[in-house]
Amino acid sequence: MKLKVLPSTLRKNNRYLTVDIKVKGNIDKNELVALVWDGCIRYWGEVETSNFNLWVMKFYEQEKTNEYNSYKSIIRCQRGYEDKVRAAYCCINKFNNKRIAISVIGSSGTIKSSIERYI
Amino acid sequence: MFVDLNIKGKDLESNINMANEAIKLGWQQLNFSYSQNDYKKSLEFKEDLEDKLDIPIDFTLEIDSNNPNEIRKIVKKYRKNCNCISVVGGNLKVNRAVCEDIQIDILSRPYLKRYDAGMNHVLAKLAYDNNIAVELSFKDILNSYLSNRAKILANWKEIYTLYRKFEFPFIISSHAESVFDLRSVRDIQAFLISTGLKEEEISKMMDYPKDIIEYNKNRENLIFKGVKVVSQ
Repeated sequence: MKLKVLPSTLRKNNRYLTVDIKVKGNIDKNELVALVWDGCIRYWGEVETSNFNLWVMKFYEQEKTNEYNSYKSIIRCQRGYEDKVRAAYCCINKFNNKRIAISVIGSSGTIKSSIERYI
Repeated sequence: MFVDLNIKGKDLESNINMANEAIKLGWQQLNFSYSQNDYKKSLEFKEDLEDKLDIPIDFTLEIDSNNPNEIRKIVKKYRKNCNCISVVGGNLKVNRAVCEDIQIDILSRPYLKRYDAGMNHVLAKLAYDNNIAVELSFKDILNSYLSNRAKILANWKEIYTLYRKFEFPFIISSHAESVFDLRSVRDIQAFLISTGLKEEEISKMMDYPKDIIEYNKNRENLIFKGVKVVSQ
């Protein structure tokens, strides 16, 4: 049996961060999920990360050059914690021995608007 | 205006690639840094670089030496040809010599390879009197992890307390060597907030690099500290 959906007043408010990912090599969605959690837990610790309500919603492959492969992704986080998530992501440097850079392009209130604006 | 005063400069093509990425991330002016050995060579393609990019570009002379006398000589040699001179700190003698020298613009990373911040109240006051900006490098955070990163952050926080008391010029730059070291302006701001700086302090930090460049463009008209020729 499925749980009944919470009334809107009790639901958490989300923001959707569009991130640009540059990797030397390839990365898939599962690796990104691990990276997103690992980056936040490394920087903020377990207790603070529990507030972020992180979820990788979308994952897009963009372009491949000799220097790096570029991806974009939409990541959900709780409203009010965007800056903390940004800070954690900008400190990520390596993952599975691959050079990686994550920069947040923008944040919006719905997935639709973040796709329209940033992807 | 968001200015990054220290992106590691290489050849023309890689500089253009880096600059294009930095523009996408929201930087509005860039300075490519070269050491005292490479600076003269780099001036050869400065005009080409300026033509190919839409944003203002300049070069920073980054002096890396442990000898204060040598630093003074290099500064004297290049001061007229250079809009921004930065000296890599870490050695206490160097930190002191830089804070005392009004000809130098930036003391970069006073905490480098040290167990303390490399600055105290005496150096902070000297930096304020001589208008020497203290520079933090984001690369130090990016390329370290766990205990090392925590120690560097502790050093940064020590410098924050001195900055709040003495109000010397204070800047941050990326020291990016590749595209992977570049971050957007908002990301850097969010990171600085997370380390304990206030928003007003960060906006001051982001504004100051532009003042350094403008001040040095007018340096020819300065007769001595506080007096400059307005018109002849």
